[in-house]
Amino acid sequence: MPKNLNKILTIFLIFFYVIVSWLLRRNGFEHSSGLFYSEKLMLLFNTNENTILTLGFTFPSLVFLSGLAFVPLGYLYAPVAASIVMICGLFYQLLEEFKKSEFSWKLYTPLILLLFTLHPMFVFAAVTGRRNAIVALVAYLIFRSLFRYYKQPVTYHLSLASIFIACFIFTNYEFIWLVLAFFPFIFLISLDGIKINKDDSPLFQYFEALNNRSQRRKLANRTASIYLVLFLLPLMAVVLFRGLNAQYAGSPTYFLDSQYANWRITGNRTVSNVITSVTRNNFIYQSQIVIQGFILFLTPIFVAALILFRGKLYELFTILAMLFYYSLMLLDYKYTLTLGYYLLFIPVGLVTICYYGTSKYSLRTSSWIFAVSTLLTIGMGFYFFIHTDNDEEYQFELEMKGIYDNWKGPRVLSESEQVANYIASIVSDKSKMLVDDASAYGVVVHIGNLNGLILPHQKSFVTIVENPTVAVKYMLIAKRENLTHNQTVLNAYNLQQMIVQKNLKTLLMFQTKNWAIYQIE
Amino acid sequence: MPVSVLENMVSVGLFEKNKLREIEVISTEFGYCYIKTALNFGFLTRKKYVSFLEEEGFELVAVREEEMDESYIEQCDLLELNALLYAPLRKLEDGHLLVAAADPQDEKLKTLLTVRFQMPITFVAASDLDITWLVHIKRGEYYVKESVFSLMRKDPEQSGLVTFTDPQLIFIFGAIAVFVILLFVNFLKVAMVSNVLFSVAFFFTILFKLYLSLKGSMAEMNEMVNKEEVKALPENTLPVYTILLPVYKEDKLIRKLIWNLRSLDYPRGKLDVKLLIEEDDDKTLNAVRNLDFPANFETIVVPFHMPKTKPKACNYGLFFCKGEYLAIYDAEDVPDSDQLKKCVVLFRKLPDEFVVLQGALNYFNKNENMLTRMFTLEYTYWFDYMLPGLMSLDIPIPLGGTSNHFKFDKLMELGGWDPFNVTEDADLGVRVFEKGFKVGVVNSTTLEEANNEPFNWIRQRSRWIKGYMQTTLVHMRNPARLIRRIGWRGFLGFNFFIAGTSITFLLYPVLLSFLLVYAIVKLTFVTALFPDWVLYIATFNLVAGNTLMIYVNMLSVFKRRYYELILFAGLNPLYWIMHSIAAYKGLWQLIYKPFYWEKTNHGLTKVSSSANAAHAAEPAAAH
Repeated sequence: MPKNLNKILTIFLIFFYVIVSWLLRRNGFEHSSGLFYSEKLMLLFNTNENTILTLGFTFPSLVFLSGLAFVPLGYLYAPVAASIVMICGLFYQLLEEFKKSEFSWKLYTPLILLLFTLHPMFVFAAVTGRRNAIVALVAYLIFRSLFRYYKQPVTYHLSLASIFIACFIFTNYEFIWLVLAFFPFIFLISLDGIKINKDDSPLFQYFEALNNRSQRRKLANRTASIYLVLFLLPLMAVVLFRGLNAQYAGSPTYFLDSQYANWRITGNRTVSNVITSVTRNNFIYQSQIVIQGFILFLTPIFVAALILFRGKLYELFTILAMLFYYSLMLLDYKYTLTLGYYLLFIPVGLVTICYYGTSKYSLRTSSWIFAVSTLLTIGMGFYFFIHTDNDEEYQFELEMKGIYDNWKGPRVLSESEQVANYIASIVSDKSKMLVDDASAYGVVVHIGNLNGLILPHQKSFVTIVENPTVAVKYMLIAKRENLTHNQTVLNAYNLQQMIVQKNLKTLLMFQTKNWAIYQIE
Repeated sequence: MPVSVLENMVSVGLFEKNKLREIEVISTEFGYCYIKTALNFGFLTRKKYVSFLEEEGFELVAVREEEMDESYIEQCDLLELNALLYAPLRKLEDGHLLVAAADPQDEKLKTLLTVRFQMPITFVAASDLDITWLVHIKRGEYYVKESVFSLMRKDPEQSGLVTFTDPQLIFIFGAIAVFVILLFVNFLKVAMVSNVLFSVAFFFTILFKLYLSLKGSMAEMNEMVNKEEVKALPENTLPVYTILLPVYKEDKLIRKLIWNLRSLDYPRGKLDVKLLIEEDDDKTLNAVRNLDFPANFETIVVPFHMPKTKPKACNYGLFFCKGEYLAIYDAEDVPDSDQLKKCVVLFRKLPDEFVVLQGALNYFNKNENMLTRMFTLEYTYWFDYMLPGLMSLDIPIPLGGTSNHFKFDKLMELGGWDPFNVTEDADLGVRVFEKGFKVGVVNSTTLEEANNEPFNWIRQRSRWIKGYMQTTLVHMRNPARLIRRIGWRGFLGFNFFIAGTSITFLLYPVLLSFLLVYAIVKLTFVTALFPDWVLYIATFNLVAGNTLMIYVNMLSVFKRRYYELILFAGLNPLYWIMHSIAAYKGLWQLIYKPFYWEKTNHGLTKVSSSANAAHAAEPAAAH
């Protein structure tokens, strides 16, 4: 294998993603999640007022924190830069890990490179600034640590696994349910660590362990120890989450429900919402049992991992925990699942093949399984995007299809950018505009300057909403067509109420499909 | 072999002839008289020896009470007196010189002394221990002064004799004055900023410890020395290994000590064991005297001199050492039987710059009560994870009190221990780095007795924390020089780890009580200290900091499979409060009694060390 090949390929991949993201932005494609985090970074560095609630700091999300390192590149680019680095980090880690496996570099290098450049989920996760990138990376690190622990049961691997599980929860609070899904296999690991006849069937091993007083004590102590070490930090995450939310917002679940703190409220759609408005049909698979089948359908590489684990009980349970987690999560989940929830099965499948790829079958057979499942997975990525129920994912697919034709044309401004440019041309310290960044975060970040704006983190915001004439000259209103108009106080309905009840006189100055700017007379 | 009491014992069948040959070899190598070798290398019990002398007509005289003309002993060197076990007492009326000797039948010694004093010699028999006591008291003054003042003379900047230097006092009082003035200028803002700074420092110290323990846990993957390497070590290449055992009123532990030493897998002729007893410690001396089985150590009596500390005793012992390598143990320690051989292998494997090896310490009475469980968790985490972590990051390692193994010549080059520092081991660890040497960590365990009594624990811990403060003050006298010597990484590591430890313990109750007062009673003053972001940081620290503290302690159970202890890690915040009490006691003593050595009582445990040692060694070995 040529020296430094992995590093060279990673640099190539960074350039690839940077060019794709530049082309997409040039064509006016921006993902709301990236814009959301960009605006929060902007608020963090540009205001002295209390922004804990509006920044979403009641839960110190790693997605947000990862963007901090890239702020020098500009608020708009920081989340995208973070997601590119995360995905490329995952790519590099995978290559380095496969280097230690029996697979030939001539096989795994092109396969992984193809996966990261062609599979639309990876490209999407990298270039949009969404949290999928960090989620995929952390999921990979968790399973890698667990598999390393199985191969060499030393504290280092176990502690890393527990730290990564905590990080996983800090990327998305809902992953706390994964902790429950991990329960079954830990008992099996404990059994493996105590001195009983390993040639017996697992059932007999249990019988032996549970009927011998000394072994039973050891088994109980070891199981409890692994549970505690794996779950103490996640437990800390829960305590922090609930404590900080209760302390600052008066509600322990504020972060989950606030559009100021959590992008998902405005950026992701509920199942009921999708049913009434979208004809594409990925969301119909979001029910118990069916979802697991759909995941396996989309990620043949994960299926390959399951095949390789035949006969390895706790290893099998370890990756099955991921599927079990979805059943737990769907018990109380009202949003449609976006691609990130499917993407993380691919790195988990890859790391499994890397560690156990050749333990069941010969290297030749395993190589075939690896190659075929990878290529099929890439194909399934396209299938997913064609049938996605998420508008932004669908839009991404359309943009990618036309990316080559569009790049020669003139630069296209996104809607947020058009609105922002107009606002920047009319507001000043004397002529301020009332903006609610619950939904207008994309516009705010494009304005690039908070001086002429009155935003919700400011103490005067509520007073001014009640009586706009005293402090602002303009208002940015979310029109009925805007999918997030229900999450903002400055929407068309409330404007109508102000006009009727407070005799507010307004003049429409500028409008796009989703936004309208009014002057208050 | 010349005529001696041993030969006479052989002739009447009281001693085996083949042992005599072994004694001759050892005596030649160490420069000892035969009887000293026989009594100190486990060949002969003192009781058997005394009864033989009495049968031969030699009544033992109480040499410590004998009239003495000191002009004769002043002509002799202590090293020789100690090696040949004699003490010239006075000139008799018949013109003979009366000499107390441990072997009154030693013709060779008689000839030597006749030539030296130019007069006939008359021997009286005396206990070897009494002779040792007498010669050290009468001739040990130079050596004991050297043990106290040598480091201060050679390298005054490294000595802890002065606790606070003038610039340090100016800095400390200056900082306090600035702080107070700022409080007057804007009380709330200054208090708030301090609150944030302390909180952040506290949290980063814990994060650093987590990082260190992760780095340290990587060491588990690569054994420094494995059993095959120990097995392959040729016995005939083993060097003489000195073991120093400083004790004070440990009479109850002497029997245990002998058994522990016997279990060491090292040729007895190559083991130079020194039991260092203080001048006024007749209890321990009599316990050695009354042993009814052969002792395998040499007793050295340390003459009185202030400060009365363990490092002073060890420095004194250095003058009598014969080994190429040197180890320090406490009286109650149970080292792994192959520890010395592992150290020999590791010293030979590592680059020359590694001059000290630290063994892991753990406890044989871990399940005795809650305190011993907490202590075990703490030690396991410290020695199994933190120290290997420090080693891998090339940060100064504060040596633990025992199981330190040195290259003897390098230890002398370093100037030995600082007798004015109450954690002389930690100080020496830093000094090793400052002089451009390195400390390694050996994968071998010594089991000790965990302190099982809270007040005794606080006494011990207050000394340790005071010693860390002393060490910080000594090495931070000239921070720029310290950076030049140990680099930025070493400097930051030293401050986080050694200075930070004491500061964290001092700050912990302050921060905790502020937050609890805020949370429970919401006093206006305290509320003002916690505006939004400050409260955010404080809450994060309280939850994350305490959880991480518990977490790193939990990790420690895995390597040694002490799974039953894991739940006790949850009590760590309480354990830290005990640390804080000890830290404040240590701070008070640092100011008022900097050199006072808080004695830790040993032998309080009701748990037998041998059974538990075997039990504790089993899972570690199996792992």
